[in-house]
Amino acid sequence: MSATASAGPVKEETPFRRFAREFAESKLAVAGLVVVLVIAALAIFAPFITPQDPYDLAQLDIMDGRLAPGALNGAGTMHYWLGTDDQGRDMLSGIIYGLRISLSVGAGSALIAGIIGSALGLIAAYVGGKIETLIMRLVDLQLSFPAILVALMILAFLGKGVMNVMLALVIVEWARYARTARSAALVERRREYIEAAECLALPRWRVLFRHLLPNCLPPLIVIGTIQVARAITLEATLSFLGLGVPITEPSLGLLIANGYQYMLSGKYWISFYPGIALLVTIVAINLVGDQLRDVLNPRLKR
Amino acid sequence: MQFSFRAALRGTVLTGALALAALGLTALSQGARAQTLTLAVSASPTSVDPHYHTFGPNESLDDHIFTPLVKMDEKSRPVPGLAESWKMLDDNTWEFKLRPGVKFHNGADFTAEDVVYTINRVPTVANSPGSFKIYTKAVAGMEIVDPHTIRFKTNGIYPLLPIDLSQIYIIPHGLGPNPLTEDFNSLKDAIGTGPYKIVSYQNGNKAELERFDGYYGTKPHWQHVTYRMIPNDGARTSALLAGDVDFIENVPTTDVATLSKNPKVALSETTSLRFVYLWLNRSHQDAPPDVSGPNGEKLDKNPYNDLRVRQALSMAINRDAIVSRVMENLAIPTGQFLAPGSYSYVPDLPPAKYDPAQAKKLLAAAGYPHGFRATLTGPNDRYVNDGKIIQAIGQMWSRIGVQTTVNALTWPTFIGRANKLEFSSFLLAWGISSGEASNPLRSLIHTYDKSIGWGAVNRGRYHNPELDAMIAGAMKIGDDAKREKALQDATRIAMNDVAIIPLHIQKNVWGMKAGLTYVARADEATQAMGVTPVKK
Repeated sequence: MSATASAGPVKEETPFRRFAREFAESKLAVAGLVVVLVIAALAIFAPFITPQDPYDLAQLDIMDGRLAPGALNGAGTMHYWLGTDDQGRDMLSGIIYGLRISLSVGAGSALIAGIIGSALGLIAAYVGGKIETLIMRLVDLQLSFPAILVALMILAFLGKGVMNVMLALVIVEWARYARTARSAALVERRREYIEAAECLALPRWRVLFRHLLPNCLPPLIVIGTIQVARAITLEATLSFLGLGVPITEPSLGLLIANGYQYMLSGKYWISFYPGIALLVTIVAINLVGDQLRDVLNPRLKR
Repeated sequence: MQFSFRAALRGTVLTGALALAALGLTALSQGARAQTLTLAVSASPTSVDPHYHTFGPNESLDDHIFTPLVKMDEKSRPVPGLAESWKMLDDNTWEFKLRPGVKFHNGADFTAEDVVYTINRVPTVANSPGSFKIYTKAVAGMEIVDPHTIRFKTNGIYPLLPIDLSQIYIIPHGLGPNPLTEDFNSLKDAIGTGPYKIVSYQNGNKAELERFDGYYGTKPHWQHVTYRMIPNDGARTSALLAGDVDFIENVPTTDVATLSKNPKVALSETTSLRFVYLWLNRSHQDAPPDVSGPNGEKLDKNPYNDLRVRQALSMAINRDAIVSRVMENLAIPTGQFLAPGSYSYVPDLPPAKYDPAQAKKLLAAAGYPHGFRATLTGPNDRYVNDGKIIQAIGQMWSRIGVQTTVNALTWPTFIGRANKLEFSSFLLAWGISSGEASNPLRSLIHTYDKSIGWGAVNRGRYHNPELDAMIAGAMKIGDDAKREKALQDATRIAMNDVAIIPLHIQKNVWGMKAGLTYVARADEATQAMGVTPVKK
């Protein structure tokens, strides 16, 4: 109503445009977003751009192991621009494939955990009573254990593998979404539009997911971006500890772990470049997440 | 003014005195330091009880405190310990002459009674995770002739008795019936005849050893030994570089190249008795669950039962590449159990020649022109570079058309499943404690037979009745030269039949600060007795 009242010669700004303008106010966040998009593109198109399939043992040659950055391979057909690891795996290809695992595990687990956690949180807030107590105590229980400990236990039980890592991450992460979703929903459900929807005798699921959920989304999106970064770090940690992905399909964490033992002998590149890739990814995602929080949080509105 | 002058004077005198005292203390502690060796081992012993667990780290520590009747020298050849000499009187009797005048740490005299007491105690140790009774099993009876002569009765001829008894550390009979493992760990019963007395022990951290001046052998150089346990490879190397420790065992292969260029560090290495090999599981007649055709289809039979496939897989492995690239030259390629120079080493049995073209031909002749899909399993936290070795072999097998999935597991999971014969091809290593071929032939190659305890770790279920008879026959030969020939013949047959695929024999490397030297031992034992300053 107020929009129509002030409508004059200025053309009305769509919500998305306003969001984009506010997001673009931070140059750092835009740079972060660009980096995230580039990394995502690299990960998606990895098989077409890497010089080698680092997960195909037949393409590796142990005789090319631990070559310094820029070295030529034994057959003289390609350069290893970032060197090779102890199995003769091209680090550049290894890092790009590693990013692929890291991003898919990170984004995938954050998405699944987000769906499960938000749904449970909304239900807890909307239904209340015993169900709310049950869900929220589960959340408390979950959050009282360090995430890495829970993930280690799950992987020790289930064994290695990308799917198992993802499952472990979902199990340790859903609780944060549930808590955030519940607190946002508790505020929203007292608003008039929910009352109105209920007065129209709309079905409960419809009120819950069509009316309540969209209005609880902003804090969940912020949590989501932070959780993607957290999941990537956690996956790297698990792989570094040798409990994550199989040794023939290293993710960034495992690449770092493989090179770690060569640090004293001066072969820095095996750990260094995957470490840089991990660092850049995490920082970029966090920059985007920070700006999202500022833009989506009405209290920080100037 | 005068007052303050006096005070100043007093202060100066006091400072001077303090400085002098400090100087004296430093000199004293330097004197003590010259007599002290701080060493770091890579694995903690599980107990001080010398009969609790057949485990290398325990034996390393025990070697300082206790001695056996027969010692093993640095090349794992038997030499006199508490026994001065031994001989076979007849097919069923060994006679050992014991060394006179030997004292235990508590002052008691060593006599034949202690030997009987010790050998009777060995099978009674409670909750032993790896009993020493396999080494006393051959003793059917004991007879004390006089305090320094003892006879052992065996059922039939048993030429290996002196070697078996080299594993049994003698304890004094004064400890009374059934000394408990806990009493050894609390050091109450940790009394031996060794060159060092143990004065404190913190499991997983360190032990303190003091020289025993009544020791019958060569007096060791160090008065005091601090025996630290640092399992982390990087931390152990760093401790040596920082000067926190003087001597470390198991220098990580990744650090050897750098350390050998460091003028502050000296290295000592020797070929060990630990050989690394692959099993091809023979217990299946049809295809094992983790093996399939080139497109994933089920195979009608187990490819590993075909000699040509086994030969092809052995030939496909570039052992020199593994040794130089993965092991950083801290291993030697092998085609058999032992290194050159050992008793029962076979001179005309070189490592399989790397020949991928021939391997492909053999596979085609065996009916696998397009190869097959295999799974190679191994531990990734047990042996030196184990995970890297199986990945490298995965590369090499893939090149001859055997598409290999490499599966690395943590040791407890791995060994549990390997014991249940769940893997079709897998990596293991074996330390030959006796230093000769009858040990691996009986434990690994002989048909799995629970009743006689042979083939106990035959995890590939290799089965060759003809070879079994040869191994049993060799064990009945008293003459060392003739037995060596029989063991060589048996080894040759096992290797030509590719019962296992031998890869390499590890080297052991010790690191120490410059100015020290170590007599590197084939049996991996880390002994303060072997560390001495370099003579100028």
